Amino acid sequence: YFSSSALLRANSGEPPKFQPPPKPVIIDKSKVVVERRFLSPEFIPPRGRKDPLKYYIERIDMIRRRKVLNIPEFYVGSILSVTTADPYASDKTSRFVGICIQRGGKGLGATFVLRNVIEGQGVEFCYEIYNPRIQEIKVLKLEKRLDDNLMYLRDALTEYSTFDVNMKPVPYSPNDEIPVNQLKVKMKPKPWSKRWERPYFNIQGIHFELPEEIMEEAQKLSQPWIKFDMLREYNTSELEKKIWNEVNEKLKK
Amino acid sequence: MRLSLAAAIYHGRVHRRLGLGPRSRLDMLRNLVTALVRHERIEAPWARADEMRFYAERLIDYGKRGDADEQAMRMADFWLTEKDLIHKLFKLLAPRFQSYSGNYTRLLQIPNRENLDRAKMAVIEYKGNPFPPLIVVHRDNEKTLLNQLLKGYREDILKTRATQVPEEAPASLYTGTAV
Repeated sequence: YFSSSALLRANSGEPPKFQPPPKPVIIDKSKVVVERRFLSPEFIPPRGRKDPLKYYIERIDMIRRRKVLNIPEFYVGSILSVTTADPYASDKTSRFVGICIQRGGKGLGATFVLRNVIEGQGVEFCYEIYNPRIQEIKVLKLEKRLDDNLMYLRDALTEYSTFDVNMKPVPYSPNDEIPVNQLKVKMKPKPWSKRWERPYFNIQGIHFELPEEIMEEAQKLSQPWIKFDMLREYNTSELEKKIWNEVNEKLKK
Repeated sequence: MRLSLAAAIYHGRVHRRLGLGPRSRLDMLRNLVTALVRHERIEAPWARADEMRFYAERLIDYGKRGDADEQAMRMADFWLTEKDLIHKLFKLLAPRFQSYSGNYTRLLQIPNRENLDRAKMAVIEYKGNPFPPLIVVHRDNEKTLLNQLLKGYREDILKTRATQVPEEAPASLYTGTAV
Protein backbone atom coordinates (compact mmCIF):
# COMPACT_ATOMS: atom_id res chain seq x y z
CA TYR A 1 0.00 0.00 0.00
CA PHE A 2 1.01 3.60 -0.32
CA SER A 3 3.36 4.86 2.42
CA SER A 4 4.07 8.54 2.68
CA SER A 5 7.29 8.04 4.56
CA ALA A 6 8.84 6.18 1.61
CA LEU A 7 8.29 9.24 -0.61
CA LEU A 8 9.97 11.51 1.94
CA ARG A 9 13.01 9.25 1.97
CA ALA A 10 13.15 9.32 -1.84
CA ASN A 11 13.16 13.16 -1.95
CA SER A 12 16.30 13.73 0.17
CA GLY A 13 19.01 11.69 1.89
CA GLU A 14 18.08 13.09 5.32
CA PRO A 15 16.15 10.97 7.80
CA PRO A 16 12.39 11.41 7.17
CA LYS A 17 10.40 13.72 9.41
CA PHE A 18 7.70 11.95 11.29
CA GLN A 19 4.36 12.74 9.76
CA PRO A 20 1.37 11.41 11.60
CA PRO A 21 -0.98 9.40 9.39
CA PRO A 22 -4.14 11.25 8.22
CA LYS A 23 -7.01 10.88 10.61
CA PRO A 24 -9.67 8.47 9.25
CA VAL A 25 -12.95 10.18 8.46
CA ILE A 26 -15.77 8.07 9.88
CA ILE A 27 -19.02 8.47 7.99
CA ASP A 28 -21.56 6.82 10.25
CA LYS A 29 -24.09 5.74 7.66
CA SER A 30 -26.37 4.09 10.20
CA LYS A 31 -27.25 7.52 11.57
CA VAL A 32 -27.46 9.45 8.29
CA VAL A 33 -30.81 8.30 6.95
CA VAL A 34 -31.12 9.25 3.30
CA GLU A 35 -34.81 9.76 2.79
CA ARG A 36 -35.75 7.44 -0.04
CA ARG A 37 -38.91 8.58 -1.70
CA PHE A 38 -41.02 5.50 -1.95
CA LEU A 39 -44.69 6.10 -2.54
CA SER A 40 -46.74 2.91 -2.33
CA PRO A 41 -48.38 2.32 -5.73
CA GLU A 42 -51.90 2.21 -4.28
CA PHE A 43 -51.70 5.95 -3.50
CA ILE A 44 -51.38 6.92 -7.15
CA PRO A 45 -54.88 7.33 -8.61
CA PRO A 46 -55.47 5.57 -11.94
CA ARG A 47 -56.33 7.33 -15.17
CA GLY A 48 -59.99 8.05 -15.48
CA ARG A 49 -62.81 10.50 -15.13
CA LYS A 50 -63.52 9.88 -11.45
CA ASP A 51 -63.67 12.79 -9.06
CA PRO A 52 -60.29 13.15 -7.31
CA LEU A 53 -62.25 13.77 -4.10
CA LYS A 54 -62.89 10.04 -3.87
CA TYR A 55 -59.15 9.30 -3.92
CA TYR A 56 -58.48 12.10 -1.43
CA ILE A 57 -60.95 10.64 1.05
CA GLU A 58 -59.47 7.18 0.55
CA ARG A 59 -55.99 8.56 1.15
CA ILE A 60 -57.07 10.05 4.49
CA ASP A 61 -58.35 6.65 5.58
CA MET A 62 -55.22 4.92 4.31
CA ILE A 63 -53.01 7.28 6.30
CA ARG A 64 -55.13 6.66 9.43
CA ARG A 65 -54.57 2.94 9.09
CA ARG A 66 -50.87 3.40 8.43
CA LYS A 67 -50.49 5.29 11.69
CA VAL A 68 -51.74 2.22 13.54
CA LEU A 69 -50.05 -0.53 11.53
CA ASN A 70 -46.62 -0.12 10.01
CA ILE A 71 -46.91 -1.14 6.35
CA PRO A 72 -43.34 -1.45 5.12
CA GLU A 73 -42.01 -0.75 1.70
CA PHE A 74 -42.04 -3.86 -0.47
CA TYR A 75 -42.04 -4.78 -4.12
CA VAL A 76 -43.14 -7.67 -6.26
CA GLY A 77 -40.55 -10.37 -5.64
CA SER A 78 -39.88 -9.63 -1.98
CA ILE A 79 -40.60 -12.23 0.66
CA LEU A 80 -43.10 -11.16 3.31
CA SER A 81 -44.64 -12.68 6.40
CA VAL A 82 -48.16 -11.62 7.32
CA THR A 83 -49.98 -12.38 10.59
CA THR A 84 -53.74 -12.00 10.54
CA ALA A 85 -56.38 -12.39 13.22
CA ASP A 86 -58.06 -15.79 13.04
CA PRO A 87 -60.93 -16.50 15.49
CA TYR A 88 -60.66 -20.28 15.05
CA ALA A 89 -56.93 -20.67 15.69
CA SER A 90 -55.64 -21.60 19.13
CA ASP A 91 -53.63 -18.39 19.57
CA LYS A 92 -56.11 -16.36 17.50
CA THR A 93 -53.45 -15.48 14.85
CA SER A 94 -52.39 -17.13 11.62
CA ARG A 95 -49.07 -16.48 9.94
CA PHE A 96 -48.23 -16.91 6.27
CA VAL A 97 -44.88 -16.43 4.56
CA GLY A 98 -44.55 -16.09 0.82
CA ILE A 99 -43.17 -14.22 -2.13
CA CYS A 100 -45.22 -11.28 -3.37
CA ILE A 101 -46.23 -12.06 -6.95
CA GLN A 102 -48.65 -9.25 -7.63
CA ARG A 103 -49.69 -5.89 -6.23
CA GLY A 104 -53.10 -4.85 -7.45
CA GLY A 105 -55.82 -2.33 -6.80
CA LYS A 106 -55.72 1.33 -5.89
CA GLY A 107 -56.86 3.11 -2.77
CA LEU A 108 -58.24 1.20 0.21
CA GLY A 109 -58.86 -1.96 -1.80
CA ALA A 110 -55.20 -2.45 -2.65
CA THR A 111 -54.11 -6.09 -2.44
CA PHE A 112 -50.99 -8.15 -2.69
CA VAL A 113 -50.75 -11.85 -3.46
CA LEU A 114 -48.25 -14.03 -1.57
CA ARG A 115 -47.25 -17.42 -2.91
CA ASN A 116 -45.54 -20.33 -1.22
CA VAL A 117 -45.35 -24.08 -1.65
CA ILE A 118 -46.23 -25.87 1.61
CA GLU A 119 -45.76 -29.66 1.77
CA GLY A 120 -45.76 -29.89 -2.02
CA GLN A 121 -48.97 -27.89 -2.42
CA GLY A 122 -48.75 -24.41 -3.95
CA VAL A 123 -50.69 -21.88 -1.89
CA GLU A 124 -51.50 -18.31 -2.79
CA PHE A 125 -53.00 -15.77 -0.43
CA CYS A 126 -54.46 -12.47 -1.57
CA TYR A 127 -54.27 -10.00 1.32
CA GLU A 128 -55.87 -6.58 1.38
CA ILE A 129 -53.25 -4.16 2.68
CA TYR A 130 -55.74 -2.07 4.68
CA ASN A 131 -57.74 -4.96 6.09
CA PRO A 132 -58.10 -4.39 9.85
CA ARG A 133 -57.63 -8.12 10.50
CA ILE A 134 -53.99 -7.89 9.50
CA GLN A 135 -51.87 -7.55 12.62
CA GLU A 136 -48.35 -7.45 11.23
CA ILE A 137 -46.63 -7.25 7.86
CA LYS A 138 -42.92 -7.99 7.97
CA VAL A 139 -40.49 -7.94 5.09
CA LEU A 140 -38.14 -10.90 5.39
CA LYS A 141 -36.23 -10.18 2.20
CA LEU A 142 -36.57 -6.95 0.25
CA GLU A 143 -35.75 -7.31 -3.41
CA LYS A 144 -37.13 -6.66 -6.85
CA ARG A 145 -37.42 -9.00 -9.79
CA LEU A 146 -37.22 -8.45 -13.51
CA ASP A 147 -41.03 -8.25 -13.86
CA ASP A 148 -43.92 -6.48 -12.16
CA ASN A 149 -46.06 -9.59 -12.14
CA LEU A 150 -44.77 -13.00 -11.18
CA MET A 151 -47.90 -15.00 -12.00
CA TYR A 152 -45.73 -17.26 -14.17
CA LEU A 153 -44.37 -18.84 -10.99
CA ARG A 154 -47.49 -21.01 -11.08
CA ASP A 155 -46.11 -22.68 -14.20
CA ALA A 156 -42.51 -22.66 -13.04
CA LEU A 157 -40.82 -25.49 -11.19
CA THR A 158 -41.86 -25.63 -7.54
CA GLU A 159 -38.35 -24.96 -6.25
CA TYR A 160 -38.72 -21.31 -7.35
CA SER A 161 -41.80 -20.77 -5.19
CA THR A 162 -40.74 -22.60 -2.01
CA PHE A 163 -39.63 -20.43 0.85
CA ASP A 164 -38.83 -21.51 4.37
CA VAL A 165 -41.65 -20.52 6.72
CA ASN A 166 -39.20 -19.90 9.56
CA MET A 167 -36.61 -18.02 7.55
CA LYS A 168 -34.72 -15.25 9.31
CA PRO A 169 -35.24 -11.72 8.05
CA VAL A 170 -32.37 -10.55 5.85
CA PRO A 171 -30.94 -7.29 7.28
CA TYR A 172 -31.32 -4.30 5.05
CA SER A 173 -30.22 -0.69 5.49
CA PRO A 174 -32.39 2.10 4.10
CA ASN A 175 -29.45 3.74 2.33
CA ASP A 176 -28.78 0.89 -0.09
CA GLU A 177 -30.54 0.59 -3.39
CA ILE A 178 -33.03 -2.21 -3.69
CA PRO A 179 -31.29 -5.27 -5.19
CA VAL A 180 -32.79 -6.55 -8.44
CA ASN A 181 -32.74 -10.32 -8.62
CA GLN A 182 -31.80 -11.26 -12.19
CA LEU A 183 -33.03 -14.81 -11.72
CA LYS A 184 -34.44 -16.47 -14.85
CA VAL A 185 -36.94 -19.09 -13.89
CA LYS A 186 -37.22 -22.55 -15.53
CA MET A 187 -40.70 -23.64 -16.44
CA LYS A 188 -42.63 -26.88 -16.26
CA PRO A 189 -43.49 -28.40 -19.66
CA LYS A 190 -46.31 -26.78 -21.57
CA PRO A 191 -49.36 -26.30 -21.39
CA TRP A 192 -49.14 -23.27 -19.11
CA SER A 193 -51.98 -21.26 -17.61
CA LYS A 194 -51.10 -18.35 -19.92
CA ARG A 195 -48.89 -18.19 -23.00
CA TRP A 196 -46.06 -16.43 -21.21
CA GLU A 197 -43.83 -16.36 -24.29
CA ARG A 198 -46.14 -13.84 -26.00
CA PRO A 199 -44.88 -10.23 -26.10
CA TYR A 200 -48.14 -8.95 -24.54
CA PHE A 201 -46.94 -10.09 -21.12
CA ASN A 202 -43.45 -8.71 -21.70
CA ILE A 203 -41.83 -11.14 -19.29
CA GLN A 204 -38.08 -10.88 -18.80
CA GLY A 205 -37.70 -13.36 -15.97
CA ILE A 206 -38.31 -16.71 -17.72
CA HIS A 207 -35.61 -18.91 -19.21
CA PHE A 208 -37.44 -20.06 -22.32
CA GLU A 209 -36.38 -23.42 -23.69
CA LEU A 210 -39.08 -23.57 -26.33
CA PRO A 211 -38.37 -24.41 -29.99
CA GLU A 212 -37.65 -21.45 -32.21
CA GLU A 213 -40.82 -21.77 -34.31
CA ILE A 214 -42.99 -21.11 -31.26
CA MET A 215 -40.89 -18.09 -30.29
CA GLU A 216 -41.15 -16.67 -33.82
CA GLU A 217 -44.91 -17.23 -33.89
CA ALA A 218 -45.15 -15.37 -30.61
CA GLN A 219 -43.07 -12.47 -31.94
CA LYS A 220 -45.52 -12.08 -34.85
CA LEU A 221 -48.09 -10.90 -32.30
CA SER A 222 -45.87 -8.13 -31.02
CA GLN A 223 -47.17 -4.61 -31.58
CA PRO A 224 -44.09 -2.39 -31.92
CA TRP A 225 -46.20 0.71 -32.54
CA ILE A 226 -47.61 0.72 -29.01
CA LYS A 227 -44.56 2.42 -27.54
CA PHE A 228 -45.09 5.34 -29.93
CA ASP A 229 -48.76 5.72 -29.07
CA MET A 230 -48.72 8.88 -26.95
CA LEU A 231 -52.33 8.44 -25.85
CA ARG A 232 -51.33 5.44 -23.72
CA GLU A 233 -48.74 7.34 -21.75
CA TYR A 234 -49.72 8.19 -18.19
CA ASN A 235 -47.19 10.53 -16.65
CA THR A 236 -47.55 10.32 -12.88
CA SER A 237 -44.41 12.21 -11.80
CA GLU A 238 -46.15 15.47 -10.80
CA LEU A 239 -49.08 13.66 -9.22
CA GLU A 240 -46.63 11.51 -7.27
CA LYS A 241 -44.78 14.54 -5.94
CA LYS A 242 -47.97 16.21 -4.72
CA ILE A 243 -49.30 13.04 -3.13
CA TRP A 244 -45.91 12.29 -1.56
CA ASN A 245 -45.81 15.72 0.10
CA GLU A 246 -49.39 15.38 1.26
CA VAL A 247 -48.92 11.87 2.67
CA ASN A 248 -45.65 12.72 4.40
CA GLU A 249 -47.07 15.77 6.12
CA LYS A 250 -50.01 13.82 7.48
CA LEU A 251 -47.94 10.83 8.56
CA LYS A 252 -45.56 13.01 10.54
CA LYS A 253 -48.35 14.50 12.64
CA MET B 1 -58.28 11.85 -21.10
CA ARG B 2 -60.87 13.53 -23.32
CA LEU B 3 -64.02 15.00 -21.92
CA SER B 4 -65.95 15.01 -25.19
CA LEU B 5 -66.58 11.47 -26.40
CA ALA B 6 -68.29 10.45 -29.60
CA ALA B 7 -71.19 8.05 -29.34
CA ALA B 8 -69.16 5.19 -30.79
CA ILE B 9 -66.72 5.28 -27.85
CA TYR B 10 -68.00 3.50 -24.77
CA HIS B 11 -67.12 2.77 -21.15
CA GLY B 12 -64.44 5.39 -20.92
CA ARG B 13 -62.31 4.21 -23.83
CA VAL B 14 -60.43 7.06 -25.46
CA HIS B 15 -59.30 5.54 -28.77
CA ARG B 16 -61.58 5.92 -31.77
CA ARG B 17 -61.62 3.00 -34.19
CA LEU B 18 -60.33 4.29 -37.52
CA GLY B 19 -59.07 2.44 -40.57
CA LEU B 20 -58.33 -1.27 -40.68
CA GLY B 21 -56.99 -1.75 -37.16
CA PRO B 22 -54.74 -0.16 -34.51
CA ARG B 23 -51.72 -0.07 -36.81
CA SER B 24 -53.76 1.41 -39.64
CA ARG B 25 -55.27 3.99 -37.30
CA LEU B 26 -51.83 5.09 -36.13
CA ASP B 27 -50.52 5.24 -39.68
CA MET B 28 -53.46 7.38 -40.78
CA LEU B 29 -53.03 9.75 -37.86
CA ARG B 30 -49.31 9.83 -38.55
CA ASN B 31 -49.97 11.01 -42.12
CA LEU B 32 -52.35 13.67 -40.86
CA VAL B 33 -49.86 14.90 -38.26
CA THR B 34 -47.10 15.08 -40.88
CA ALA B 35 -49.40 17.08 -43.17
CA LEU B 36 -50.31 19.41 -40.30
CA VAL B 37 -46.68 20.04 -39.44
CA ARG B 38 -45.90 20.70 -43.11
CA HIS B 39 -48.86 22.97 -43.95
CA GLU B 40 -49.89 24.17 -40.46
CA ARG B 41 -53.56 24.19 -41.46
CA ILE B 42 -55.43 21.23 -42.96
CA GLU B 43 -58.98 20.12 -43.65
CA ALA B 44 -59.91 16.62 -42.66
CA PRO B 45 -62.94 14.63 -41.51
CA TRP B 46 -63.89 15.86 -38.04
CA ALA B 47 -63.34 12.52 -36.27
CA ARG B 48 -59.83 12.12 -37.68
CA ALA B 49 -58.94 15.74 -36.91
CA ASP B 50 -60.25 15.39 -33.36
CA GLU B 51 -58.25 12.20 -32.85
CA MET B 52 -55.18 13.77 -34.39
CA ARG B 53 -55.36 16.86 -32.18
CA PHE B 54 -54.07 15.09 -29.10
CA TYR B 55 -51.12 13.58 -30.94
CA ALA B 56 -50.22 16.90 -32.58
CA GLU B 57 -50.15 18.65 -29.21
CA ARG B 58 -48.17 15.88 -27.56
CA LEU B 59 -45.68 16.02 -30.42
CA ILE B 60 -45.09 19.70 -29.67
CA ASP B 61 -44.50 18.80 -26.02
CA TYR B 62 -41.87 16.31 -27.13
CA GLY B 63 -40.42 18.96 -29.42
CA LYS B 64 -40.14 21.33 -26.48
CA ARG B 65 -37.88 18.80 -24.73
CA GLY B 66 -35.26 19.55 -27.35
CA ASP B 67 -33.57 17.42 -29.97
CA ALA B 68 -30.82 16.37 -27.57
CA ASP B 69 -33.38 14.14 -25.86
CA GLU B 70 -33.22 10.66 -27.37
CA GLN B 71 -36.81 9.76 -26.61
CA ALA B 72 -38.03 13.01 -28.22
CA MET B 73 -35.99 12.30 -31.34
CA ARG B 74 -37.36 8.77 -31.64
CA MET B 75 -40.94 10.01 -31.29
CA ALA B 76 -40.42 12.74 -33.87
CA ASP B 77 -38.78 10.22 -36.18
CA PHE B 78 -41.79 7.91 -35.93
CA TRP B 79 -44.53 10.53 -36.17
CA LEU B 80 -43.08 12.64 -38.99
CA THR B 81 -42.73 10.53 -42.10
CA GLU B 82 -41.05 13.38 -44.03
CA LYS B 83 -37.74 13.78 -42.28
CA ASP B 84 -37.17 17.47 -43.11
CA LEU B 85 -40.10 18.27 -40.85
CA ILE B 86 -38.21 16.98 -37.80
CA HIS B 87 -35.92 20.00 -38.12
CA LYS B 88 -38.98 22.25 -38.53
CA LEU B 89 -40.57 20.80 -35.40
CA PHE B 90 -37.58 21.30 -33.14
CA LYS B 91 -36.34 24.60 -34.52
CA LEU B 92 -39.54 26.43 -35.52
CA LEU B 93 -42.64 25.03 -33.83
CA ALA B 94 -41.14 24.32 -30.40
CA PRO B 95 -39.81 27.89 -29.84
CA ARG B 96 -43.07 29.33 -31.16
CA PHE B 97 -45.07 27.53 -28.48
CA GLN B 98 -42.64 28.13 -25.64
CA SER B 99 -45.02 30.58 -23.94
CA TYR B 100 -48.08 28.30 -24.28
CA SER B 101 -48.54 25.46 -21.79
CA GLY B 102 -51.12 23.53 -23.82
CA ASN B 103 -53.77 23.98 -26.52
CA TYR B 104 -51.44 24.51 -29.44
CA THR B 105 -54.11 23.68 -32.00
CA ARG B 106 -57.48 25.05 -33.02
CA LEU B 107 -60.25 22.80 -34.34
CA LEU B 108 -63.19 24.35 -36.15
CA GLN B 109 -66.05 22.68 -37.96
CA ILE B 110 -66.63 23.33 -41.68
CA PRO B 111 -69.69 22.76 -43.88
CA ASN B 112 -70.05 19.10 -44.83
CA ARG B 113 -68.00 17.71 -47.70
CA GLU B 114 -69.50 18.15 -51.18
CA ASN B 115 -69.17 14.45 -52.03
CA LEU B 116 -71.91 11.84 -51.82
CA ASP B 117 -70.84 10.96 -48.25
CA ARG B 118 -71.52 14.53 -46.90
CA ALA B 119 -68.90 13.89 -44.25
CA LYS B 120 -68.55 16.19 -41.25
CA MET B 121 -65.37 18.12 -41.96
CA ALA B 122 -63.13 20.21 -39.76
CA VAL B 123 -60.13 22.44 -40.19
CA ILE B 124 -57.29 22.03 -37.71
CA GLU B 125 -54.42 24.48 -37.45
CA TYR B 126 -51.46 25.26 -35.26
CA LYS B 127 -51.87 28.64 -33.53
CA GLY B 128 -49.56 31.36 -34.69
CA ASN B 129 -49.55 30.17 -38.29
CA PRO B 130 -48.77 32.68 -41.07
CA PHE B 131 -52.15 32.39 -42.82
CA PRO B 132 -54.97 34.92 -42.36
CA PRO B 133 -57.14 34.07 -39.33
CA LEU B 134 -59.99 31.62 -39.73
CA ILE B 135 -62.40 33.53 -37.48
CA VAL B 136 -62.68 37.09 -38.77
CA VAL B 137 -64.22 39.46 -36.23
CA HIS B 138 -66.64 41.75 -38.09
CA ARG B 139 -67.37 45.12 -36.60
CA ASP B 140 -70.79 46.56 -37.33
CA ASN B 141 -71.06 49.13 -40.10
CA GLU B 142 -70.34 52.62 -38.70
CA LYS B 143 -72.68 54.29 -41.21
CA THR B 144 -75.94 52.84 -39.76
CA LEU B 145 -78.27 55.33 -38.04
CA LEU B 146 -78.00 53.76 -34.59
CA ASN B 147 -74.18 53.67 -34.73
CA GLN B 148 -74.02 57.30 -35.90
CA LEU B 149 -76.28 58.41 -33.02
CA LEU B 150 -74.21 56.41 -30.50
CA LYS B 151 -71.01 57.94 -31.91
CA GLY B 152 -72.48 61.45 -31.50
CA TYR B 153 -73.57 60.63 -27.91
CA ARG B 154 -70.07 59.39 -27.10
CA GLU B 155 -68.51 62.60 -28.45
CA ASP B 156 -70.96 64.76 -26.46
CA ILE B 157 -70.07 63.03 -23.20
CA LEU B 158 -66.37 63.50 -23.81
CA LYS B 159 -66.95 67.23 -24.52
CA THR B 160 -68.94 67.76 -21.31
CA ARG B 161 -66.27 65.95 -19.32
CA ALA B 162 -63.60 68.16 -20.86
CA THR B 163 -65.54 71.37 -19.93
CA GLN B 164 -66.40 70.16 -16.39
CA VAL B 165 -62.87 69.11 -15.43
CA PRO B 166 -61.18 72.62 -15.39
CA GLU B 167 -64.00 73.89 -13.01
CA GLU B 168 -63.52 71.03 -10.54
CA ALA B 169 -59.72 70.84 -10.83
CA PRO B 170 -58.86 72.30 -7.33
CA ALA B 171 -61.39 70.01 -5.59
CA SER B 172 -61.01 66.71 -7.51
CA LEU B 173 -58.13 64.27 -7.48
CA TYR B 174 -58.25 63.90 -11.24
CA THR B 175 -54.96 65.19 -12.63
CA GLY B 176 -55.04 63.65 -16.13
CA THR B 177 -54.76 65.67 -19.34
CA ALA B 178 -57.96 67.06 -20.86
CA VAL B 179 -59.29 65.25 -23.90
